[in-house]
Amino acid sequence: MMAIDFTTAATAAMICWAVGALLGIASVKIPALKMPGIILAITGTAVLGVYIAWYWNFLGRPPLRTLGETRLWYATLIPLVGFIVEFRWKISWLKYYCMGLATFFLVINLMHPEVFDKTLMPALQSPWFVPHVVVYLVGYVFLAASSTAAAHNVYLGLRSKTTETGSMVSHYLAILGFVFLTFGLIFGALWAKEAWGHYWTWDPKETWAFLSWLAYLAYLHANSYKIDRNKLQWYLALSFIVLLVCWFGVNYLPSSQNSVHTYTQS
Amino acid sequence: MATVRRQLFQDPWEFRESILFTAAAVLAGFLIQIASAGKGIPQPHLPFNALFLALLAVTVISAGLAFKNNPVVKWLGGIPLGLSLILAIALLSLIGGVVPQDTGATGSIAVRFGLSSIFSSWPFALTVIFFLVNLGIGLSWKLVPFKMQNLQFILFHAGFWIALSCGIFGSTDLQRLIIPVDEGKSGNIGFTMQGEEPHQLPFSVFLHEFSLEEYAPNLLLYDPATEAQTNFDVHKGLTTSWKGSDVLVVDYLPSAMPTEDGTLKPVASKGLPFVKVRISSDGRHEEGWVGVTLPSQKPVPVKIGNLLVLLWPGNPKAFRSAVTIQGDNGQTLMANLEVNKPVGFMGWKLYQMGYDEKAGRFSKLSLIEAINDPWLPAVYLGFFMIMAANVLFFWNGIKRSNKA
Repeated sequence: MMAIDFTTAATAAMICWAVGALLGIASVKIPALKMPGIILAITGTAVLGVYIAWYWNFLGRPPLRTLGETRLWYATLIPLVGFIVEFRWKISWLKYYCMGLATFFLVINLMHPEVFDKTLMPALQSPWFVPHVVVYLVGYVFLAASSTAAAHNVYLGLRSKTTETGSMVSHYLAILGFVFLTFGLIFGALWAKEAWGHYWTWDPKETWAFLSWLAYLAYLHANSYKIDRNKLQWYLALSFIVLLVCWFGVNYLPSSQNSVHTYTQS
Repeated sequence: MATVRRQLFQDPWEFRESILFTAAAVLAGFLIQIASAGKGIPQPHLPFNALFLALLAVTVISAGLAFKNNPVVKWLGGIPLGLSLILAIALLSLIGGVVPQDTGATGSIAVRFGLSSIFSSWPFALTVIFFLVNLGIGLSWKLVPFKMQNLQFILFHAGFWIALSCGIFGSTDLQRLIIPVDEGKSGNIGFTMQGEEPHQLPFSVFLHEFSLEEYAPNLLLYDPATEAQTNFDVHKGLTTSWKGSDVLVVDYLPSAMPTEDGTLKPVASKGLPFVKVRISSDGRHEEGWVGVTLPSQKPVPVKIGNLLVLLWPGNPKAFRSAVTIQGDNGQTLMANLEVNKPVGFMGWKLYQMGYDEKAGRFSKLSLIEAINDPWLPAVYLGFFMIMAANVLFFWNGIKRSNKA
């Protein structure tokens, strides 16, 4: 029954985004289509929001534990960043990338329905659980959007069409993402002290979280040293790869054999 | 006018000099590491590490202020060197994030180069010390003269300096000891994770009772012919259909014990879960009890029709130890130790760590971890300064966008 519900919600969301995006593109010629396009795109995200609320209630615990569950949050929140950027800075292209990325995450979830497990191991039963994961999620959402914006800027740069606002968007999203990443890292350390006895043990996930934090720390300093913004767009676009390794690549590395962050127990 | 490219080591030094310097530091680190036969860095304890850090802080800040206009000091506290060192720390961490840590075989390349203990290796230590110098000099310029608009910068950079330096140099004073205690007995001897010689603790822990709660067991249906299986969280009244058979959980006893005549008697604690299952297939009905076995035993399936029915124990939900802690100074404390709920005692923190997993909920043994970290307040001060800087960032950001 679960799988059917998720399939329905995900399909509905993806159709809303696709039609909304098409109407948005068509509105360049026919301005009357602009509003319906925006409403449809937002509806797609709202469908997922309602689904998450229902799923949370159904599980009886926050759906923030498995990778599939975090992907669900991403798929919901990334388009939201696109909508906010359009509303705030009148930049409309970002939302298309965001909806595309969200669709990609939903498709992964549709192809790999996870074994559904309601249990939460004792170490995860903590008041730190929700703030730690939510702060990271929001941070990753901003950085995913920043990376997408940077990739778009790289594309524009190759066609010699760079804009000042373009690099501004990727820059502000990166700063916001970095602030959330910092909070996530420190919340994680404070929680680790309560659950595992020490705030930092160089667990592979911690190491990779530190690495991604350093990657963006380096960006911010390079930016403040006035390094050519166009070169930095490449850097920002690629930095997200480090985050992806941290997010789900760690489980496949040889170093993860003793990690406390691999929740697949025997 | 053609721009003349600056020669290497011609003032002002920038990225090329920084990268060369950083690479030299990392290389020197690896050479010392190999020369010292993989012994790693010296690990001074209190008060020597604190003295070293205080000396480093004072030297760096006063050098930064006294030689503010010296080109070498300018470069030492500048962004190009900072960036190179950040990237070097990132690359060394990358090694630590890929190569399994603390597991290498003696004599292997990973051990000789310090790759399998990268975070206590010479290259990492040297890079971090130079980074602290760079960060400290940069900080000194913003500290004096103090300006309110620099507060966010100061909090973030000083917080990072304090957390990083105290976290790394204070790690030598961290004590993590595992105290094994049996029910009805007390223990005051702790062992390190490596199981070296026992350490006498300044207090003893008496274990009244160890208890384990599990999630509801899983009902597993298995078809030996096709090796297909499916499972459900058990509750009374659960119905499901699978491969043409209807399955009903008629009764569920979360905690029971078989009596001598073979019937089941519910018990308040230390029992095992049992379910009564009815399976209907092609008009035939079969009913039987299935129980969970101990983790150390092989599960005994019940065969109904062409299906095997097993009851799989649920995952541990909570485990706790009711203890009385008694200090050598006469102080006593009764407490429940539970995962995520450590208890403080005489400067130590006590954690519920583990139990005899083979015995599962019948474990009479509890593993309690006692941790003493005198540097924790300093590291937390650093953490809270960084977070305060972040809050200021939001505040300033919001104010700025309001003005705009």
